[in-house]
Amino acid sequence: MKSIKIIIYSILVLLFITACSDDILDKRPMDKLDSEALLSSPEGRVSFLANLYYQLPIEDFLFRPQGGEFNFRGNNNGKYLPYSTDEAVHSEANVAGFLHGQNELKWWEEGYKLIRDVNLLISVIPDLTINEEERNTLMGEAAFIRAYSYYGLVKRYGGVPLIKELQIFEDDIESIKVPRSTEKETWDFVLSECDVAINNLPEDWYDGYNRRPTKWAAYALKSRVALHAASIAKFWNEAPLSGPAVDQGLVGIQASEANGYYQACILASQAIMNSGKFSLHKPTPANPQEAAENYREMFEDPALAPEEVIFLKGFSIPGLGHAYDFWLQPNQTSNGAPHPGRMNPSLDFVDCYESYNNPGQSSPIVTTVDGDVNNYNGFDKTRTYLRFNNPYEIFEGKDARLWGTVVLPGTVWKGKTIVIQGGYVKPDETARIEVDESIVVNGTTYYTFGGSDYTEYSGFKVLGGRMTKSGFSFKKFLSTIDVPPELNQSTNDWIEFRYGEILLNFAEAVVESNHNAQTEAAQALNSIRHRAGHTVDIPLTLENVLRERVVELAFENKRNWDLNRRRIYHKDLHNTVRKVLIPLLDLRVDPPQYIFVRRNAARERARTYLPKEYYRYIPDVGASGLVQNPEW
Amino acid sequence: MKKNQKLLCFFKNEKWRKTIRTMKMMAVLFLLFNITVIAGQSAGDEIYFNLKMKDATLVDILMEIENISGLGFLFKSEEFEVDQRMSVNLRHVKLTEALDEILDKCYSYQILDNSNIVITKIKETSDDPVSQPVRTITGRVTDEKGDPLIGVSVVIKGTTIGTVTDLDGNFTISGISDDAVLQFSYIGMQAEEIIVGEKETIRLIMIQEAIGLSEVIAIGYGARKKETLTGAISYIKSEDILTTTHSSLAQSLQGKIAGLQIRQYTGEPGDFNAMINIRGFGSPLYVIDGVVRDGGSEFQKLNPEDIESISVLKDASAAIYGLNAANGVIIVTTKKGSMGKVRFNYNTSLGFITPTNIPRMADAAEYMEMRNDALVTIGESPYLPESELEKYKQGAPGYEGTDWYDETMKKYSNQIQHNFSAQGGNEFVHYFLSFGYLGENGLLKSGDLDYQKYTFRSNITTQLTRNLTAEVNFSGRNDRKRAPGQIYENILKGTRVSLPTEPVYANDNPEYLSVVAPTNLNPVAYADREYTGYNDDRNKFLQTTLVLTYKAPFLEGLEIKGLGSFDSNNYGGKDVLKSYKLYTYDEINDIYIANEQRKPSRISNAINDNNRLTLQAHLVYNKTIANDHNVGVTLVYEQRQGWSRYSYLEREYEFYTNDQINQASVNNQITDGNETDWANLSYLGRLTYNFKGKYLVEYAARYNGSYRYAPGKKYGYFPVISGGWRMSEESFIKNNLTFISNIKIRGSYGIVGEDVGVPFQWAQGFSTAGGGGYEFINGIYTQGAASPTIVNPSLTWSESNIKNIGIDIGLLRGKLAMEFDVYQRDRSGLLAVRDVVLPNTFGGTLPEENLNSDRVRGIEFILAHNNKIGELNYSLAANFNYARTMNVHVERAPFQSSYDRWRNGLSDRWSDVVWAYDLMGQFQNLEEVIMSPGQNGTLGNLKELPGDYKYRDVNGDGLIDNNDMLPLFWGGEPKLHFGLSFSATWKNFDLFALLQGSGKYSMRFWGGGSYGEMFCFGGNLPAYFYDRWHPVDPYDPNSEWVSGEWPATRTKYDVGAMYYESAAWRNDASYIRLKTIDLGYTLTNDVVNKVGIDNLRLFVNVHNLFTICDPWVKIFDPEKIEGVGGVIGLAYPVTASYNFGLNVKF
Repeated sequence: MKSIKIIIYSILVLLFITACSDDILDKRPMDKLDSEALLSSPEGRVSFLANLYYQLPIEDFLFRPQGGEFNFRGNNNGKYLPYSTDEAVHSEANVAGFLHGQNELKWWEEGYKLIRDVNLLISVIPDLTINEEERNTLMGEAAFIRAYSYYGLVKRYGGVPLIKELQIFEDDIESIKVPRSTEKETWDFVLSECDVAINNLPEDWYDGYNRRPTKWAAYALKSRVALHAASIAKFWNEAPLSGPAVDQGLVGIQASEANGYYQACILASQAIMNSGKFSLHKPTPANPQEAAENYREMFEDPALAPEEVIFLKGFSIPGLGHAYDFWLQPNQTSNGAPHPGRMNPSLDFVDCYESYNNPGQSSPIVTTVDGDVNNYNGFDKTRTYLRFNNPYEIFEGKDARLWGTVVLPGTVWKGKTIVIQGGYVKPDETARIEVDESIVVNGTTYYTFGGSDYTEYSGFKVLGGRMTKSGFSFKKFLSTIDVPPELNQSTNDWIEFRYGEILLNFAEAVVESNHNAQTEAAQALNSIRHRAGHTVDIPLTLENVLRERVVELAFENKRNWDLNRRRIYHKDLHNTVRKVLIPLLDLRVDPPQYIFVRRNAARERARTYLPKEYYRYIPDVGASGLVQNPEW
Repeated sequence: MKKNQKLLCFFKNEKWRKTIRTMKMMAVLFLLFNITVIAGQSAGDEIYFNLKMKDATLVDILMEIENISGLGFLFKSEEFEVDQRMSVNLRHVKLTEALDEILDKCYSYQILDNSNIVITKIKETSDDPVSQPVRTITGRVTDEKGDPLIGVSVVIKGTTIGTVTDLDGNFTISGISDDAVLQFSYIGMQAEEIIVGEKETIRLIMIQEAIGLSEVIAIGYGARKKETLTGAISYIKSEDILTTTHSSLAQSLQGKIAGLQIRQYTGEPGDFNAMINIRGFGSPLYVIDGVVRDGGSEFQKLNPEDIESISVLKDASAAIYGLNAANGVIIVTTKKGSMGKVRFNYNTSLGFITPTNIPRMADAAEYMEMRNDALVTIGESPYLPESELEKYKQGAPGYEGTDWYDETMKKYSNQIQHNFSAQGGNEFVHYFLSFGYLGENGLLKSGDLDYQKYTFRSNITTQLTRNLTAEVNFSGRNDRKRAPGQIYENILKGTRVSLPTEPVYANDNPEYLSVVAPTNLNPVAYADREYTGYNDDRNKFLQTTLVLTYKAPFLEGLEIKGLGSFDSNNYGGKDVLKSYKLYTYDEINDIYIANEQRKPSRISNAINDNNRLTLQAHLVYNKTIANDHNVGVTLVYEQRQGWSRYSYLEREYEFYTNDQINQASVNNQITDGNETDWANLSYLGRLTYNFKGKYLVEYAARYNGSYRYAPGKKYGYFPVISGGWRMSEESFIKNNLTFISNIKIRGSYGIVGEDVGVPFQWAQGFSTAGGGGYEFINGIYTQGAASPTIVNPSLTWSESNIKNIGIDIGLLRGKLAMEFDVYQRDRSGLLAVRDVVLPNTFGGTLPEENLNSDRVRGIEFILAHNNKIGELNYSLAANFNYARTMNVHVERAPFQSSYDRWRNGLSDRWSDVVWAYDLMGQFQNLEEVIMSPGQNGTLGNLKELPGDYKYRDVNGDGLIDNNDMLPLFWGGEPKLHFGLSFSATWKNFDLFALLQGSGKYSMRFWGGGSYGEMFCFGGNLPAYFYDRWHPVDPYDPNSEWVSGEWPATRTKYDVGAMYYESAAWRNDASYIRLKTIDLGYTLTNDVVNKVGIDNLRLFVNVHNLFTICDPWVKIFDPEKIEGVGGVIGLAYPVTASYNFGLNVKF
């Protein structure tokens, strides 16, 4: 009996052990989800889309043009895209070589990584257990992302390989090599993806995650893309290139195609303008002061201007913060970190603004009685300079947006009078400019930079890049809180598409294609000027439209691409040094008054833009077998 | 009934000497040889019983008595006349009465331990009236250390009369004539013969066999006698491990086992990171008490006192462990209880630890002289005026300088060990209980670096029913390492780099630690937890095992076993990294200016809970068929699972308060965590067959599944076949060449696997971590999910193909023994990323695949000799292993040229080769510098000075560049390992000495570290550089040069090709060192017995006493690796220790 019992027990033990058997190996990774598990829930979709939107090549506060990095949170020394244009000079770095190298503005592998990710999404959408509406919206978002991605590529490289499906590599490398499409095909693909997005995206998001692209964002993208493509077609011959890439149509579009693209831009823009969903932020200010503040506050906090914002990229802590406040603050309002004052708006840029008393014209800053604004030879005691009691008096009557974009010498910012002074003219008529000196005149001590200690002023001293050397400090986008945030702690949101840009895209397309919507376009142009405090309408001319783009979209990282698509770069930057305005205290008179000297920026080498740079260098064509862009 | 036939089977082929030893090794033997020791219900004599049998054989009758009494009989079957039948009818008799009746005068019997009865046939000659008078003598048998040997077989030569020694090693034997010769035999000991003569008592010390042929060795899911092994398996016993006193078990094994390569990288207390490597294969698999308990540090932390034996599976015999056994297996068997009264053992030692060597850094005067040279020789103005330099040389007040090493480090630290164990058992229960403590202090003067370990073990075996045994093993460890809030490497770096001209304290005020040039590495501050906080690591570790063994009564030789094991390790790491102040003294204002370091203070807790569950079911069957055919079958099902959970918390202090996480600020806190879950499943089997113990064949295989691979790719099949021929059993040797006691030729071939690659690489999956995020709602950041990487669904284990051929030879009755092995392992399926350049529009990178392969080849031998001269017993043993690894296939891009192939090719070449410039000597003068080929590219020889190194222009192009490099050195991994041990006993003294060494490797302290670069980190430099080329007048660069060992001192910016790889910096690191010397004295019983002690041994042992090697390598220690964890020569020094201890048995 006993032994039978034992046998039974033993068998039970054995059974127990083996019962646990095979399926113990059937484990799933604890840090991975399959597409169904992730993407069939709204939260999972948002989570996956977050990574895709994160990768979008939005040239925002964290865009580092050198090396072409997005979401860059390292030390970029305060170098941003405006330095490549005529908008600004850098306080410290000599940016002569800015963006001329093979890696600058690069976005290739990263672009195709994003395209792979979005192609993967597209490949699984049909199999997800979600309702039709959700499926369509997801298709719309995927198309928007893909359109934006290819737009990022085509504006840099011209025609690129169009990879529209998830590639699978097994053994045959040749099967995954895709040749470049023509530039036209590439733009067309972007536009067709915009259309898919337009057709599938909702007009509004109701699920709370409302910063995703809407139908209107897709229209806005199409407006921008079509204008870009049209410009390439129209202005290709301004800087023609040659070589295999040109012969095969990989770069360049026939001029005859231009109007079709302008038409697409006009239609897309009109869709937004006629939707009734958007308007300019505070379109009718009472006076220029109000206009300046209305304009500035929209960039400090886009949430104040929901009527103008079509699509934005948010910043938050924890999460993603940027460093505009850290790097670009005037020296006097920095938080003590030794890095403010990097962005110095140029005189070339400041000159563009209209004066209210001379509508329709750029009004360069006149510093001398003779009114000669083309003399950049520095201080000349024989010339008669206009004298001012306050350094900002010279800008009075200029477009309100200048005051909203730039910290002008002697103006108040965050409760402090920002002192920007480049030197003085001694009673003996010698000028001391950009040297750190002081002098006693009639018992009063005067300092070249306007103060005895570097904390008391914001200009011209060579001190670790803290001080402006252009005579202007930067304001647009900065937050007004007293102590600016530390590195990458700023959370102002970035407006990627706003109504103002759409109006200008529309106006430009109408002017360039001589479209019959002239009145509508003139209205669009002037409504923007009205918002800036102008009261006198100006006619719809190309010059007026382009000036508006410069001043309205200043520092929004559009200028680089405007110069590019319109083929202005190589003319604008041709052995060119940016211009600056140096306020000097004139001690020849008593009491001393301010005079201004127009001059070339100090410590800057002349810059030249080569036509080949309209198309960037394609990395590693050896492995991909692609045709390289001309002259690289 | 059948059970007893099994008994017969066993004894049929065995000599008497096997019998009682079984109890000591019961746990092992139970499983393997099916010895049945039947524990009775009570002492035999107190049982009265009835016995009625008809026409039964003697064996039948004895068996029935076994059933009734629960006692076990041991006898030789050939002594029984099986055919003789008898009838008995006994009523209410005692056991002894019954036996007297049944055995009559033909057999004698002896009751051992009240549970076993040995029956021997009484030789008829003893009845011969003509023979000489017979008498009875007594004696005692001990081992070399004086411990009694229990169960030694004592037989009168030429008769079947014999007995075995009892628990105290005593025996009594009667029927002795004066010319009788007594034969003594015992497992693992050399057999002895003693002529009785007129002796009344006999005292015998038995000595160990050089290579114990009859020792039972754990081989994985079973055990095997050495003589029938077919694989390459090494074995070490408890007492040979314990000859070395060290906190790490690895150090107690180094040099003692052929083919087990061990290297200690550092001597840091609590750092169990020694390299352990079988035959050059890589990190082995560890099995402790039949359960895979992997991880080198778990093994190294075992209390050596708990270990009964360690087996090392070195060839394809490891295939029984399937996956993860490609690098061989180390099997540890812990001590178990044994029959008899309790035996207590207390062992303690106290040791002093000191670095084997540590390079001295320049003192203030030397430093200043060399610092001055560094400027003068390159034509710049001197570093300091001559008068100042003179003051340093004189050591004038205020110019003495600081010896940072002395300020920070002690000359000696200490270690202490206590071990206490109790071992014993009765018919029901056998137990081994132990408790151990180890404390080791670090060399920091602050006393803030130490390690403490507490271990316990309780191994209990109980007989549940007659056929069912339960074994419950329970062991635990609690250990803790305390260290200051700076890693040791930085502390040592502080003593290397900080300038000797800097003071420890500002204004010599001990309240204010000084700011120190060049980089504030004030090691005195670093080493002190008051300043820098601390790193505290604790482990709580439990191992539990339950084994049930059932001997099937219905089929003899069949055994069923179930094993369940659960282990749990709880790790808690706590770091408090405080911010602290260093000061400068402002003499004018008499104030101390604080310089805050490492702000803010941080605190972190890391918690890891690690669990492991193993379940096994065994089916074992052994049978001898027709006397000569021994067959064994083992079938095992095994599943192993593990899971862990890790959490990490960190906070920052606004100001330091208490070292509790909730006392720190909630700002900037970090949390992290992850979990793992794994499982393996196996079916394995082994078939053995031998014919007359002469021709041996074994086949084993494991069908092994791993959780980490894709469905359909989870299972692998790992077979091994091995065979042996015991040539010495053949009659042409056995009968003719009697000096040969053993010759065996053996070979094995098998396939073993190794888990490679990150788990789940097959699973295409999105990861919720690692993606970029997006702010969909103002102020709320949504963390993004990363898209899947490209997967490799066919990823699998790497496969090793292992071949081994060996020969074992024993001569002169085991006095001389040798083993020789040749082996090769071909490994394929190593991970690499395929070398195809994907177009960069693909948007992804390729995953790892099983592409690369390599090969290890090696030889190995053991030589052993032992002997006895008078009262001196001694043995000598040598082991040697030489193995090299060759890369067979290394995935890479096509070569650009034949030069590219020669210079950069790796495939089909030995690995670990260093390319270097061929050193021709030092430039003797400027003329020679100018006339020699340019060494610095466009700079020519502008930066070279007399004394700098001159290299050979191999290709004769007038330039020294990359193209002139040659494969001149072996790299940093030793390829040759050997050990040479000597042990001896004389009277009450015992001595053990072990020389251990490695060779075929080189060592260099690279530039970028203090030892290989002058003024590295802008700091101090080693004193050896003082013997240097320099101008006679240190203030005149044009004065004559004085030659020296090293080039002229200067910073790395001012040197030319001085630091190029060459024999100037890279040295052969081969060494031989006296690893262990251990001297003991055992107090004789008479003296200590009075205080109740059986045995008292006092001992002294020394670890790493001396080293012979290249003198330059020696100052760093050849075993220390050149860069542990990326630090260059800054690991904790390798240490020597001097230990005193005593061992008491009572």
